[in-house]
Amino acid sequence: MSASSKVFKDGLWYNNPIFVQVLGICSTLAVTNNLRNTLIMVLGVTFATSMGSLTLSALRELIPRKVRMIVQVLVLSFYVIIIDIVLRAYAPTISKQLGPYVGLIITNCILMGRAEAFAASNPPGLAFLDGLANGFGYGWVLLVIAVIREFLGFGSLFGFKIVGDGFTPWTIMVMAPSAFFLVAIALWIANNYKAKAEAAKKGAAAPAGAPGAPAPQKS
Amino acid sequence: MKPNRNSIIYAAVFTFVVCVVFVVVLAIANQVTLSRVNANKKLESQLAVLKAFGLADGTTPVGEIDSKYTQSITEKSMDKATAYIATIDGQTYVAIKLTMPGLWGPITAVLATDPKGTIVRGFEIVDQQETPGLGGRITEPWFSAQFKGKQTLPDGTIAFAQGSGKGNLDPTDGTVDAITGASRTSDFVKALVNKELALARQIGGTL
Repeated sequence: MSASSKVFKDGLWYNNPIFVQVLGICSTLAVTNNLRNTLIMVLGVTFATSMGSLTLSALRELIPRKVRMIVQVLVLSFYVIIIDIVLRAYAPTISKQLGPYVGLIITNCILMGRAEAFAASNPPGLAFLDGLANGFGYGWVLLVIAVIREFLGFGSLFGFKIVGDGFTPWTIMVMAPSAFFLVAIALWIANNYKAKAEAAKKGAAAPAGAPGAPAPQKS
Repeated sequence: MKPNRNSIIYAAVFTFVVCVVFVVVLAIANQVTLSRVNANKKLESQLAVLKAFGLADGTTPVGEIDSKYTQSITEKSMDKATAYIATIDGQTYVAIKLTMPGLWGPITAVLATDPKGTIVRGFEIVDQQETPGLGGRITEPWFSAQFKGKQTLPDGTIAFAQGSGKGNLDPTDGTVDAITGASRTSDFVKALVNKELALARQIGGTL
């Protein structure tokens, strides 16, 4: 497996920022009641993580260890402010709707997490891919949650009404608590699946009945 | 000679240089987009005034806002506020745009009414920084819809009360529903609305 495909698989699944690293949960709670805001948030985070990782990785030989976190925050917030400026100039309605959330991208732990865990010790190209992969890994989970929340909470997807007027919206889905339990359920399903896949791998490697082989699981 | 990355001087110089470089780039980006951002803000304010007068709604094409605005509205600047005068179907209406304090930051809104300030024509929030999901709900359509055609109370004000949460559309009772869970924001908006009504009466009297 080449380094770049490993980086991608890690970001999307094996080391998914939401499922495994459990980072960026605050934004998952805040923006996922509406697909459009979620999509913009995902694109913003992906852009900021990948470009931030690229820049920090390119500078990694020069950054003194003592001030590395200050430099990381500076570089990452630079990209976040760029996003804010571009949205304000070219997409004012979206910028207004997202309000404080764009600025809050900087508080997304995925950005600092990847900068510190990966970009600080890997070459720029790979760091960029890692940022991209983590952005996408974060993104697909968020979009799945947003689909469930917007559909049940408003009866619509991307603002388009899907179900008729007879549908009673689940108000709880619009509010933050629903994100708590949806994220928890998603985490549970993903980790359960992962544990089973690993158990099956081990089971295949060791002959059945051999000591250390996991007991067959009921599905 | 390779600089010593662990020295304090290197750390200080490096941090300083990195800060300067990134901040300069941001300043340039901000400057380049400034005129666009200001144009957007102007359009937004014009649209809010048109909406308050009932001359535009969310479906009005962006390209038409400016021409529609210059055609139908006369501006009149007041002390700390701006007054707008429009004649619709032979009737003169007055609108006031005013900025007053909110919970986290200033709230700017436009209120249009007849010159005597007895029947509100429309109310639009232009800018606010209230808590998203709580006070921030003052920008939701149901909130501003309550003001449309609302008769003011005998003392010329509009009252805010606890309501169904869906909006009080009764035109005669002079009362609108406040925002649930945002009493402070509701108080600030109430003060803003009533100040605007008073100013509208002041301007209306001079017409």
